[in-house]
Amino acid sequence: MTTFILRRLIQTLVVIALLSYVCFYLMTLMPGDPVELMIQSNPKITSEDIVRLKQLYGLDQPAYKRYATWVSTIAQGDLGYSRTYRVPVGELMGPRLYNTFILSMLSLLISLAIALPMGIYSALNPGGKFDSFVNLFSFAGISIPSFWLALMLIIIFSVNLGWLPAGGTETVGMSDADYFTMIKDRGVYLILPILSLSIQQIGGFVRYARSAMLEAMRNDYIRTAKAKGLARNVIIWRHGFRNALIPLITIIALSFSTLFSGALLTETVFAYQGVGKLVYDSIIGNDYNVAMISFIISVSMVLLMNLVADILYGFADPRITFN
Amino acid sequence: MAIPQTNESSLTQGQINQLEKATPFWKIIFNQFIEHKMAVAGSIVILIFVIIALGADIISSITGLDPQKQNVSARYLAPFSTSEFSMDMKENEIEKWSEKNPELAVELSNFIKEKSLFSATDGQNPLIGFGTQDVSVVTAAIASENSASINSFKELTKTFTTKHWFGTDEVGRDVLIRLIYGTRVSMGVGVMVAIASALIGLLVGSVAGFYGGRIDTALMRITDALLSLPLVPVLIVLAAVDLQKLPAIKALMRPDNESIVKMFIILCFFSWMTVARLVRGSILSLREREFVLAAKTLGAKDSTIIIKHMFPNVIAPMLVAISLGVGNSILFEAALSFLGLGIMPPTASWGNMLNNAQEVIYKNMWLTILPGIMILLTTISFNFVGDGLQDAVDPKSIRR
Amino acid sequence: MKNSILILAASLLALSSCTKKESSSNLNNSEYKIGISQEFENLNPLVMQMVATTYLYSISGRRLVNMDENSKWVPQVVTEIPTLENKKAKIITVGGKKKVVAEWEILSNANWGDGKPVICEDFALAREIAMNPNVSVGDKESYAQIEKIDIDPKNPKKCTFTYGRARFDYYMLGTYMPLPSHLEGEVYKKHKDEREGYEKNSLYSKEPTNPGLYNGPYLISEIKLGDHVSFTPNPHFYGEKPKIQKVIVKLIPNTGTLEANLQSGTIDAIGVVGLDFDQATGFDKKVKAEKLPYSVNFVPGLTYEHIDMNMSHPILKDLNVRKALIQGLDRQTLIKSLFDGKQQIAIHSVSPKDPWYSETDAIKKESQYSKANAEKLLDAAGWKKGADGIRLKDGKKLSLEFSSTAGNKTRELVQVYLQDQWKQIGVEVTIKNYPARVFFGEITKKRKFDLALYAWTSSPESVPRSTFHSSSIPTEKNGWSGQNQPGWNNQTVDKLIEDLEVEFDPAKRLTIATKITEEYVKDAPVIPLYYRSEISVTPSKLKNFVMTGHQFYETNAIEKWTLE
Repeated sequence: MTTFILRRLIQTLVVIALLSYVCFYLMTLMPGDPVELMIQSNPKITSEDIVRLKQLYGLDQPAYKRYATWVSTIAQGDLGYSRTYRVPVGELMGPRLYNTFILSMLSLLISLAIALPMGIYSALNPGGKFDSFVNLFSFAGISIPSFWLALMLIIIFSVNLGWLPAGGTETVGMSDADYFTMIKDRGVYLILPILSLSIQQIGGFVRYARSAMLEAMRNDYIRTAKAKGLARNVIIWRHGFRNALIPLITIIALSFSTLFSGALLTETVFAYQGVGKLVYDSIIGNDYNVAMISFIISVSMVLLMNLVADILYGFADPRITFN
Repeated sequence: MAIPQTNESSLTQGQINQLEKATPFWKIIFNQFIEHKMAVAGSIVILIFVIIALGADIISSITGLDPQKQNVSARYLAPFSTSEFSMDMKENEIEKWSEKNPELAVELSNFIKEKSLFSATDGQNPLIGFGTQDVSVVTAAIASENSASINSFKELTKTFTTKHWFGTDEVGRDVLIRLIYGTRVSMGVGVMVAIASALIGLLVGSVAGFYGGRIDTALMRITDALLSLPLVPVLIVLAAVDLQKLPAIKALMRPDNESIVKMFIILCFFSWMTVARLVRGSILSLREREFVLAAKTLGAKDSTIIIKHMFPNVIAPMLVAISLGVGNSILFEAALSFLGLGIMPPTASWGNMLNNAQEVIYKNMWLTILPGIMILLTTISFNFVGDGLQDAVDPKSIRR
Repeated sequence: MKNSILILAASLLALSSCTKKESSSNLNNSEYKIGISQEFENLNPLVMQMVATTYLYSISGRRLVNMDENSKWVPQVVTEIPTLENKKAKIITVGGKKKVVAEWEILSNANWGDGKPVICEDFALAREIAMNPNVSVGDKESYAQIEKIDIDPKNPKKCTFTYGRARFDYYMLGTYMPLPSHLEGEVYKKHKDEREGYEKNSLYSKEPTNPGLYNGPYLISEIKLGDHVSFTPNPHFYGEKPKIQKVIVKLIPNTGTLEANLQSGTIDAIGVVGLDFDQATGFDKKVKAEKLPYSVNFVPGLTYEHIDMNMSHPILKDLNVRKALIQGLDRQTLIKSLFDGKQQIAIHSVSPKDPWYSETDAIKKESQYSKANAEKLLDAAGWKKGADGIRLKDGKKLSLEFSSTAGNKTRELVQVYLQDQWKQIGVEVTIKNYPARVFFGEITKKRKFDLALYAWTSSPESVPRSTFHSSSIPTEKNGWSGQNQPGWNNQTVDKLIEDLEVEFDPAKRLTIATKITEEYVKDAPVIPLYYRSEISVTPSKLKNFVMTGHQFYETNAIEKWTLE
């Protein structure tokens, strides 16, 4: 097992390194560098300005050289500097990554806590009243466009009822309040974004949980267990659920890999200070340092979560071995 | 399936033959599928949508609605309202009509002068002056008259008003007919992408899971790479690539469908990874099962084992992934148009209708609700069909 | 279960349709919150590039000169603008080259937020830093045109600028920002040889709340990039005392949420870099219908929306076709029905706000809408209507590709409208949009378009060298630089542009500019559409609020605003 994990970790590092170059190269492939975009809104910028700025930004160098420069600064522990915002990347991304993590983690946990029991219960009583309610709810959650849901929540809870703030991360000037008030304040701002994300995630999770459980409960050994007179709980959890785990692990691991990627739309609509929009803007605006760090994070998360999933497969089904 | 009474003496040879003949596999599946009521309902909805999509042109010609026809004097009309042409649109139409029927036009002009239905100012054509008034005024004035010219003119004025069951959009186009035409793109995207992603995912996932080892490592790292590859820069690069330059793709493309082909390729390319991982996870566990071992010892080929013995067992999670994918791809298509890779205006799709209405959600909420409902219906239908299929093909639930 | 869903849906709809009347009656001078939808960056005036940052900068920083709401140049931290008339500026000839020297004097009570005076050294430092190749300044023209600055040894607030070329626009230094030499001088000295060293270590990024960095009516008390900036009055400000005690500018990137925030009272106003046009007109109607305590302000701006026609394109090479495209579209109706008449129609590239604006009969005639005329022109060009209504010549369809920036709803709306209009005169256009960076970085830059819809913002009296001069046609040879994207090559215009730059008499400048405009309309390289309006929403209680309509935003007079 240890050798397996070690080998996979080494593989992972190699893939990250490879992919980071691919990403870097992709960024350089995009037509229109930031300097060219600058000219469009300002006819005053001369061609000399363009040449000078390109040299300054190093845009005149070939991609591999720039990549090498980037790697060497990273190796020195310097994450670089955001050219768009003109602040160090760590300073810019740190708090936002934290915010995104809080938002995604909470909504993921809440969705799972609601969706798994819902899915399992409706799988145990397929065709029942609860099942059709769950079905309808999850389909609605899947099909509602996220901007629509988010704006509706704002209209209802902020504009009309006035219960919750319409958007933001915290009340302005709250950063020097004491810890408890601050948490309370942050919590109030988190309710709507979490609600909007969860409603959508629950839909998908319920579908997977329900179908996996339905499938598992059809197996012959369930019939045998029932015939043996085992307690219902034992049948459901020890025999049924355990066998429904494989697809669930895959899906949950996939979801966890996006913990730090941020939900662009939800964060934007709720003006939440996450990384979603930052990353999007950094790619559009060729803010290399920010974009590359976010690529590295997302690549590592996917690979890491896949590794975790593979390990968990072994626990869920002891027949699976990795050699 | 009711088992016929097995009273030997009463059986004819024909009946015996019939009994001994095994029911074909597809028939078993079909029969079981039919039993799932919601799945049948879902397939009917999908069928209706497909018919609508294919028959959009016919619907358009019957109703006289044109998805591209604009009327900027009737923007954002509420559902069930009626729009009327603006003055110069009417003028245009009347001019066209006069050109086509010059005698009728003279006759009608004289009639208007005679009855002094309209007091034209200097240099104004009385026919146009009369005809460009409110349609209600015009029809009231000539309602009781009956002559060749007037009847023809009545037909013309009828086209000046349009009933909009679902209201109008930002340039006064009829929302209903746009939804109907949108069905083409959106259903096309949904179905094609779902099928393509399922096939690719199934292939990659099963090969990786079954063979394990190096093959697994290689395939799964590629899957991971695609999952984690940042979509935005890839899309921007693709937006700049002129696919016409690639000879292989050029054959598929004409300038008018370039954006659609591009979009399908992109959607398919980025949607199979979830299926692949789901399939691989299940196959990893299946390949250690007894029935696989049994098949192997019997000397079954790998492909036989994968296709015959494993696929029916991985179909459950796969179907969920596909049916979720249908709705997602419809919405994804709309997001692509933000990067210039989706459907270009004025072609309608549910997704871009939804997006265009985003800014006016406060004023005209129905514009976001209607396409939303279409997407919801599609997703639900596909899910039920998926459920039905799962029940039908599941070897454990097959009752023979 | 069905019933419960129905009830739920009904109550949701009811909740979302009933509107709470939000009153802004409790607004007073203690706090004023403005929402914007565009990103802002670090407030270092030398390196800032985003529009929203310019908006913010004027709240806390003042410059040499500024343009007021009537598009007139007015002094800001200086006593007066040196001109030939008031004898503070003169033209000299050095070594056969004409130059301008001008005397500037900084207001005696102009101070930085920490009480230190604003001196000529602050401007000299800004110039020195801007000219350093290690610092990424976008538009250097303001600084580069100044050859040297001589500071009066007796009075540090007095200095003489020598301009390298005798151009009439020498004093239009709206983007010349001072830097506090007592703070930034040190930083610059230390990091001037590192690539991008100054901007990384500048106090504007390391210690942005330092009062000494700002000389405007407000100081920054808190700044959180991507979220908000808080301002408090600057006790050392040279001008009128600011009335509002706290100003918060909050970034809400989604315009839908921005509107919701305003309605829920989270913000009190929306700045010019806020609402979309369609949304603003919608909100305006709502305000009027429900008598909400807001005013939605529309002011014609200087952003010129237009369509470049590629003059190298085989079809568009023909002047008749280009003119037919212009005359075949009804801009009046476009503005009236799509924009409620709230954008200003453009007949050429000079805005009515510009002193160079002209509307001679020749110009008017050329831009008149006439479908019949357009059809005549196309017939004359040999394009005959085919069976499907689309014109043909030599078996080829009159079909053009129409590109713009993808995802811009207003432009897509205009595109769809124009497509319909042109179809009526027998021209088929297919819409093909690209993401902004592909559009500007590839399509327009390399002139790969047929028709390209986009906008640029220019300031009044700016010489159109980079857009009209034939040397500005982007080619592979000049590294695709210049923005004469239609490829307009007119020797007369080239000459006129060169004359215009060195003409000091305003009346003569107008004559030259009018000639250029006439050529522009005659040759029709571009389809003018409209001037985009600047939009803001303010509470009705706010007084002394005047929008400018150009890039020197209303925040330049923020000290006058009051809610009492």
